[in-house]
Amino acid sequence: MRNDGTVTLTVPAKAEFVDIIRLTLYGIAAKMKFSFEEIEDMKVAVSEACNNAVLHAYDHSQPGQIEVSFTIMNEDRLQIAVSDSGVSFEQVTDRTTSTLHGKSIDEIQSGGLGLYLMQALMDEVEIRSNQGTSVILTKRRLAQETV
Amino acid sequence: MQSEKLTFQTENLDGLTVVRIAGELDLEVASQMRSVMEPLMELSDRKLVLNLRDLKYIDSTGIGILISIVKARHARNAPFGVEEVPSTIQKLFDMTGITPFLAASPNA
Ligand SMILES: Nc1ncnc2c1ncn2[C@@H]1O[C@H](COP(=O)(O)OP(=O)(O)OP(=O)(O)O)[C@@H](O)[C@H]1O
Ligand SMILES: [Mg+2]
Repeated sequence: MRNDGTVTLTVPAKAEFVDIIRLTLYGIAAKMKFSFEEIEDMKVAVSEACNNAVLHAYDHSQPGQIEVSFTIMNEDRLQIAVSDSGVSFEQVTDRTTSTLHGKSIDEIQSGGLGLYLMQALMDEVEIRSNQGTSVILTKRRLAQETV
Repeated sequence: MQSEKLTFQTENLDGLTVVRIAGELDLEVASQMRSVMEPLMELSDRKLVLNLRDLKYIDSTGIGILISIVKARHARNAPFGVEEVPSTIQKLFDMTGITPFLAASPNA
């Protein structure tokens, strides 16, 4: 697959920087002519990966960084890699990404939706874990522009 | 204490509190949302409705807060629901399965 360019951004792993990632994503995805709906999907998926890096990767006393790289592939595919160098994401395969479907009000709980949403909103989600976590999200533009 | 990012407008009607939430509900403003909602959640003799017409963004952080409101209201036997949900947000509610828990019971 042809790499048509990569934009990389490094931000502190803090909640107030996640919207900067969303703004950058918006700029790149709009330039690639993704649809409004596709961009909204990617905004949520990328934010989920960043939220996880903010909340789960680092010790609160020593916040680290999040590196996000956006790679444009074959003009119509955007790959977003969200990496932290915090605690490793153990037993990735054991994580049950469970929704609230079919549960009663007494069974539902907050939490555990982020990975599910990434999977539901992107075409591909890959999680790599070594000396930190990298979440690699890919989406292909569907709506073909009629120019 | 309200940031520009997320604003709240509370309207007290007869037996009903409507909170209009506008802006982006993300991790940065999650604690703000919780502290605005906490006192309102306790008013068990009133119906509580969140109007989401001007909500531009939500993710699992905000959905998690909604789940805790649903549970707190249920524990008090007090009605809670959302209205005027934008389609991009409704899609996330449907995906996660929270939708059936957000319908305020009628005439309550
Ligand atoms: N970058 C990361 N580093 C370390 N652990 C992680 C990372 N991302 C996710 N995890 C682990 O995976 C779990 C599941 O993540 P997921 O986003 O699905 O749910 P959550 O963050 O707990 O809740 P929610 O996203 O609904 O607010 C987390 O609770 C955490 O234990
Ligand atoms: Mg999460």
